[in-house]
Amino acid sequence: MSELGRLSILLAFLASCFAVGSIAWGLRTGMAGPLKSGRRAVWVVCGLTLLAIVILERALLARDFSFRYVAEHTSLDLPPMYAFSSLWAGQEGSLLLWLFVLSAYGAAFLWAYRKRIDPFYDAVAMVVAGVMVFFTSLLAFVSPPFRILATPPADGNGLNPLLQDPGMMIHPPILYTGYVGFIIPFAFGIAVLLMNRTGTRWIEEVRRWTLFCWMFLGFGVLLGARWAYVELGWGGYWGWDPVENASLMPWLVGTAFLHSVMVEQRRGMMKTWNVALIVLTFELSIFGTFLTRSGVLTSVHSFTESNIGPWFLGFILISSTIATALILYRKALLESENRLDAVVSREGSFLFNNVLFLALTFATFLGTTFPVVSEAVTGAKISVSAPFFNRVNVPIALALLLLTGAGPVLSWKRVTTSVLQRNFLIPAFVGLLATLVGFPFGLHGVYPIVCVFGAAFVIATIVMEFARGIQARKDVAETKGAMAVVSLVEKNKRRYGGYIVHFGMVMIFVGVLGSSVFQKEAHGPLQPGESLALGPYTLKLRGVENRPVANAQHTRAILDVTRGDKYLGPAYPAKAMYFKSQQPMTEIALRQTPAEDLYMILGGVNDDGSASIQAYINPLVSLIWVGGVVMVIGTLIALADRMRLKREEKLGA
Amino acid sequence: MGSRLRLILVSLAIIGSVGYLILSGVKQTGLHYMTVSELARAEKPPEQGGFRLDGRVAIGSVRYDQKTPHLLFQMTDGDEMIGVVYHGLMPDAFGEGREVVVEGTFDAQARTLSATKLVTKCPSKYEAEGLGKDKA
Repeated sequence: MSELGRLSILLAFLASCFAVGSIAWGLRTGMAGPLKSGRRAVWVVCGLTLLAIVILERALLARDFSFRYVAEHTSLDLPPMYAFSSLWAGQEGSLLLWLFVLSAYGAAFLWAYRKRIDPFYDAVAMVVAGVMVFFTSLLAFVSPPFRILATPPADGNGLNPLLQDPGMMIHPPILYTGYVGFIIPFAFGIAVLLMNRTGTRWIEEVRRWTLFCWMFLGFGVLLGARWAYVELGWGGYWGWDPVENASLMPWLVGTAFLHSVMVEQRRGMMKTWNVALIVLTFELSIFGTFLTRSGVLTSVHSFTESNIGPWFLGFILISSTIATALILYRKALLESENRLDAVVSREGSFLFNNVLFLALTFATFLGTTFPVVSEAVTGAKISVSAPFFNRVNVPIALALLLLTGAGPVLSWKRVTTSVLQRNFLIPAFVGLLATLVGFPFGLHGVYPIVCVFGAAFVIATIVMEFARGIQARKDVAETKGAMAVVSLVEKNKRRYGGYIVHFGMVMIFVGVLGSSVFQKEAHGPLQPGESLALGPYTLKLRGVENRPVANAQHTRAILDVTRGDKYLGPAYPAKAMYFKSQQPMTEIALRQTPAEDLYMILGGVNDDGSASIQAYINPLVSLIWVGGVVMVIGTLIALADRMRLKREEKLGA
Repeated sequence: MGSRLRLILVSLAIIGSVGYLILSGVKQTGLHYMTVSELARAEKPPEQGGFRLDGRVAIGSVRYDQKTPHLLFQMTDGDEMIGVVYHGLMPDAFGEGREVVVEGTFDAQARTLSATKLVTKCPSKYEAEGLGKDKA
């Protein structure tokens, strides 16, 4: 079977090379034949990659330890679901998953545009195939997944306990669906430049593809934060770790693009800028894969250190050079049709939005790579960590929050003073009110106050926009209550979907604010019968017990949790000792409520029989996860809007 | 004033303040990133600012009081050693011989780094070790 796997990857490599060559030839000569066979080759790559994945999965599930990859990442006592997910536990399997998602995007793209006879779409497919050449060659020649051991061991090395978590089963595939998906906008951008494409239809198409993968990437980032929260056991969810930053950066630039593309659609401006943003988003996705997989930077996630780093850097260098050269070569195509009329306008707010998002990305990039940069510039290695990112990024993020409230209610071109008064007076008042209410609860300091003001301000503008929308439409105004909101959203899904996304983002801001300002901690060794007080909670140790579960031995403390006078039930923070690796793993106990999480860690059992318990109150953390879901819902609503696509179609662009 | 000029001015103001944030951030939160030997052999280690060290936990050096919790160990890069104190629970993957990254302040007299952050790199056990050669 391994030979078949190897063969399928080699054939996939040849097929992607063929696809690039054949489409290029077809585009040059204008012949339909080569174009058609090139498109078919993309499908073939997709099929071959799927075959390779099936072969590797079969080996993983059967624990066929003659496969090196299986022996490295699984063991006989590993539950089947984690044997399945260990496909993306190592470098080779991750790259294979990358290639599969990539070729699936290629196939989905060809399927979506199968009825269009237009060489432009063939050019897009060619760019996708070009990236396929890179990944198939990595898998075929540099990091092969189908290596066979001379002497298969009786049992494998086992899966890293950190990865034995349900969140880890879905986090990488979802993140990859986001990361890899930016290939399509990138390919569109390159194809536009290659083919000297005019018209506006492609912009809406790119916007929709971007929205789709942007949603997955954002959700994947949050799932990663959730995984860190429940699995790493340090009481937090975001540590500005290089790998976290790597996944955040393409999301930030993608967000910038989703905003500035509206300016292009509406006013025919910022064209060069937008193409540059698409390219940057894609390059940062590749860079993220590079950071995760190369081990150049120390990180809690650095599961592998390997030989593929230079290949990725080379790819980034070559592809961004080509893109830059094309942008310069096609300068005329990207000429702006309009000029900015006023700074205080919708366009202006989008511009500042972009400047701020890029500043955020730049600061994150600089901080992540700082040791390398500082050594090159000054000769001394300087490293920065969480305090730097908080110091630099928090104010920029807060500025963005304020802009989230201001931008959507500014009108295009110019804003009159009466519009300003009408749209800003009430939200500003609501914001001030919220800060006054928040003050006695301990929301002091500039940043918390700005955050509360901003959150209330944004929510007020969103509510006002909905109310105004309902009033403005007679047909909507006649329906009652919640139904009016629903039918309003249906009328303009894109606009109100966007507001829902903003609302989700505000929830995340409030969640981050609450958990960073109001976190409380307590720890201590407890003898059975003793208790630990934390805020309104009392944690009383009932005892400690040992019990085996699947592939590990659990030592767990039984804590009786009371809040005030109310008994809430037992909680079981534990340490798991995995048989295979003999490595302890903290299994936290978590009591989640909308207002606050009670987060409990068992540090260990001491010689005198006492248990070391550490506990946190993390207020409002739930808002972060709920906010993420709200953002996904809002994005889905916006994606359902096909109005603009139809209009562009009618224009025949 | 033209709107274009105004736009440029506002953008410059934003970029300027972000630049200021970054520079002052580096100045105030930047950590001297050194190897254990570099720090141990430095005659006059930098007095200002924190340190970041990469290295291994020396065999036989770990003292852990779980109740406090309080963790003491020697960090080495093969040549020199530096003591590390950390007030917190021992990370799961921590152990003798493991690769760790610590951040904190350095007491030159006591040659001890008091760590505010302790990250253990995942052991490479889950990778290729000990599986032997590939079949030709």
